[in-house]
Amino acid sequence: MTFRTRLLIAFALTVIVAVAFVGGIVSTTTRRAFERLDEERVSALAAQFHQEFLRRQREIAQQVEDIAESESTRDMIIALSRPDADPSSYVDAAQAPATAHNLKFLELVSASGSIVSSAQWPARFLYQEDWVAARGDWNSQEPFLKREELPTDTALALVSVRVASVGDNKLYVVGGEELDRDFLSSFVLPAGMRALLFREPQSIVGASGPLPQPAPLAPLIDALRKQRHEVTQTIRWSADAADAETFHAIPLIGPGKDQNHDLMGGFLVGSSRAAQVRLERFMIRVEILVAVGGVVLALLMAFWTTARITRPVEALAAGARAVAAGDWHTQVDVHTGGEIGALAAAFNQMTRDLLEQRDRLVQAERVAAWRELARRLAHELKNPLFPLQITVENLQRARAAHPEEFDEVFRESTATLLAELGKLRGIVGRFSDFAKMPQPQLETVDLNGLVRESLKLFEAQMQAAGVVLRLDLAADLRAIQADRGQLGRALQNLVLNAIDAMPAGGTLAIRTAAHEDGVRLEVSDTGQGLTQEEYDRLFTPYFTTKTHGTGLGLAIVQSVISDHGGKIGVRSEPGRGTAFVIDLA
Amino acid sequence: MRLSAWLPLAVLSALALCGAATRPRYGGTLRVEMRDAQPDAGPLRSLVFETLVRLDATGAPQPWLALSWQHDAAAKRWQFSLRPGIKLHDGSALTSAAVAASLQAALPDLTIAATADGITIRASRPLPDLPLDLAHNGWLDTGPFRLTAFDPGHHATFAANEDYWGGRPFLDAIDVQLGRGLRDQLADLELGRADVVEIGPADLRRAADHGRAVWSSAAVSLVALAFAPGHPNDPRLREALALSIDRAAMHNVLLQKQGEVTAALLPQWISGYAFAFPTALDLPRARALANALPPAARTLTLAYDPGMRAARALAERIAVNAHDAGLTVQVSPQNPNADARLVEGRLASFEPERALAGLAAGLGMQAPTAAQSPAALYESERKLLEDFRAIPLFQLPMLYGAASRVRVYAPPAVTRLGDWRFDNIWLPGTAP
Repeated sequence: MTFRTRLLIAFALTVIVAVAFVGGIVSTTTRRAFERLDEERVSALAAQFHQEFLRRQREIAQQVEDIAESESTRDMIIALSRPDADPSSYVDAAQAPATAHNLKFLELVSASGSIVSSAQWPARFLYQEDWVAARGDWNSQEPFLKREELPTDTALALVSVRVASVGDNKLYVVGGEELDRDFLSSFVLPAGMRALLFREPQSIVGASGPLPQPAPLAPLIDALRKQRHEVTQTIRWSADAADAETFHAIPLIGPGKDQNHDLMGGFLVGSSRAAQVRLERFMIRVEILVAVGGVVLALLMAFWTTARITRPVEALAAGARAVAAGDWHTQVDVHTGGEIGALAAAFNQMTRDLLEQRDRLVQAERVAAWRELARRLAHELKNPLFPLQITVENLQRARAAHPEEFDEVFRESTATLLAELGKLRGIVGRFSDFAKMPQPQLETVDLNGLVRESLKLFEAQMQAAGVVLRLDLAADLRAIQADRGQLGRALQNLVLNAIDAMPAGGTLAIRTAAHEDGVRLEVSDTGQGLTQEEYDRLFTPYFTTKTHGTGLGLAIVQSVISDHGGKIGVRSEPGRGTAFVIDLA
Repeated sequence: MRLSAWLPLAVLSALALCGAATRPRYGGTLRVEMRDAQPDAGPLRSLVFETLVRLDATGAPQPWLALSWQHDAAAKRWQFSLRPGIKLHDGSALTSAAVAASLQAALPDLTIAATADGITIRASRPLPDLPLDLAHNGWLDTGPFRLTAFDPGHHATFAANEDYWGGRPFLDAIDVQLGRGLRDQLADLELGRADVVEIGPADLRRAADHGRAVWSSAAVSLVALAFAPGHPNDPRLREALALSIDRAAMHNVLLQKQGEVTAALLPQWISGYAFAFPTALDLPRARALANALPPAARTLTLAYDPGMRAARALAERIAVNAHDAGLTVQVSPQNPNADARLVEGRLASFEPERALAGLAAGLGMQAPTAAQSPAALYESERKLLEDFRAIPLFQLPMLYGAASRVRVYAPPAVTRLGDWRFDNIWLPGTAP
């Protein structure tokens, strides 16, 4: 990962973390504000419920009391107290006062607890309502909640009982209203809030009718049943968090059948979380927008900033790569101060110094090469020159001392002179050949075949030297494009070099192999290996450790491989041998 | 003139005025309303048609178109002599052949032949109660009124039969409005728009309190629960429902103690054994039967005809009673797919076996087995009811309220069986 990339990531992360941090704080603060607002609204509605409940209690108590004290009720008590009383005459008696006082429930119950008339369920005449007759202090009792059975279902009613008396005769007036949709409709609800009424065992209604899917409220209802005091829970109606509602449940407790307090139902105040969720989502969108914008801006700024920082570094890196590639004339164009500027100046100075040193080195090497060449030439030429000098001196001495033998000596001497001159010509020719190494003429060459052909030339020599040949040629080796003659000569030089390296015999191993970039040829011997000096100067022209060599063999090999676009390497371990590895495309 | 001379004159004048007020007058149209929209065999028939025999207030057969009858010792051969001088509504004289043909069509199992002054009836078995049968079979259009206009389902008009053998009826005409609800009938009676209306038991007290005359037949109408074939299949459900019904409470309150509580098809006054069918509720057994049913099988639907007397109140009370037994009864008016129906069926005959067969047919039950004795008839009825496919509840009378202007010359205006005797009715204020 580049320095610039790292800088860009660091900038971006910094911006994102900062935005997320600020966004988180804003979201939390907003959520808490909403929750406080919700609590206040729910508390207000709960208070409204309690007030409305009290108002209805008073209203129902008054209406039932009015009916109990009415003339018609007194007349009925008197009529029913007669010995020949016929309660069946009053089977519909509850209908009129119930309608007149707007009561949904009204039952007139005789002193014995038998229903004389029922407005809500006329068919229940003569049924026993023992709980009514069981106590006599109804007139001091507040209205209470009661489950009222109806022909088709069970209603939750707010009921008041009053005792109407004429003398010792009495009639119970049981009247009330249903806690239903109308009750819920009386509440003034702010936007986003609603009131529901839960009625045991499992009916839940809203102001607009029965709740279509009450199942999600089951945990709240269960909690209300267990705890029997106000409970608050968040209800999720769907996977969408915006559909969630916070419900505050107020238990509705009644006396129950055996006067034990019984949970009759619950008043549920729901506050939609939609507005909060919408705001949160809006804030998240804004945060994302700010984050993206910030990141983009940060990236642009980071790009600009890092460009200023990394451009000299990149120029320095490019310069270093150019130097590594051999371009020692490289100068970085950096106009900046500080450490980077100093570094660039040092780099430029370094390349200049390197260039000067290289020139000096080249000069020195050139001088050394000339010296070596002169030394080699002198060495090579000195050997033939000495016989030439001896032969010429022999001719001179034979002319002077033995004129009769001069002709004989002259023939022998000229023969020797010609032989030595031939040697001189050969030496000059080899130097000339090295100087005139031609460009390779490429053709399709089977490397394995070339190896086998070349080795045939050395069979006798290897046998004489006690060298064992070990061939490991890859069968699937592909053909290569090469100059057969030059590559063959290079191979022969390596083989000859290996044989020379094993004067006491050994193993010459030749291996070919294919690799992803081409083919590999490896020629190794089991000779004494190379010294460090030999290793360093192995391919230097005219360098040789052999008494009869010109020192051009390996230089030619390197030249041929280089001209073929290949590489040549050497592995050598002292005492264990040397291996030349050639990679060709 | 002295006071002593004026006093007898004043008394005579007062007596003359009283006599004028009670003496029947001819003329006028009687306005009648009834619930039935298709009165093919109801009380309307008795205005137009007559039979050889008519039942008196005690239910005993009395001569009508037949002057007399006699039978052999085995009661297999009967001979009836016809009243002379009777004309059919088309003006032709009533003949023995016409009577024989009419009876033969109604009683195909008998051999009926015309004689010079009457008819002869032969049977392969003894027919000791044949006159009872003839009180409801062999209808002949010789009645006191003739049908002059008929708009099915809405209206029927009858005119006095000037040639009626019993003398021209007092009324000129009877105008009958059909398919009129009970509440509307009562309202029309109270508003003076009708002279004779049907009233329900619940309105009996109100009608009496307003000074209306109330005419009642014997308990000739059976109110029962009838289960539709295949609904429901479990007899335990039907029995549980039968045992849960508090007939007494309904009879006392909803029916104002009219008629009688029953668990039998035939009324006590006909069969004599209806008391043997227990009517008391047995809630513990009903609950036990209901609890033995799977919960899904404890529900049934009950339909009623809104035009039927006290039908809704009765049905709802039955639902309340069933609820006490652990059953759920869903009440709805005129539900064709209901499991059970609250029905009302009138007696078609005073002859017990024929009456039982008629009621069984009306309730969709199989025909009862032939019974030659009251014990056999009881057994036959018991078998009809043993699977609770029908649950008899009440035997109700037909109740009519009459406007104060309606006078009855020779009561009753409505017979024990519910037939109309409106030829006895006259209206004051019309020409004498």
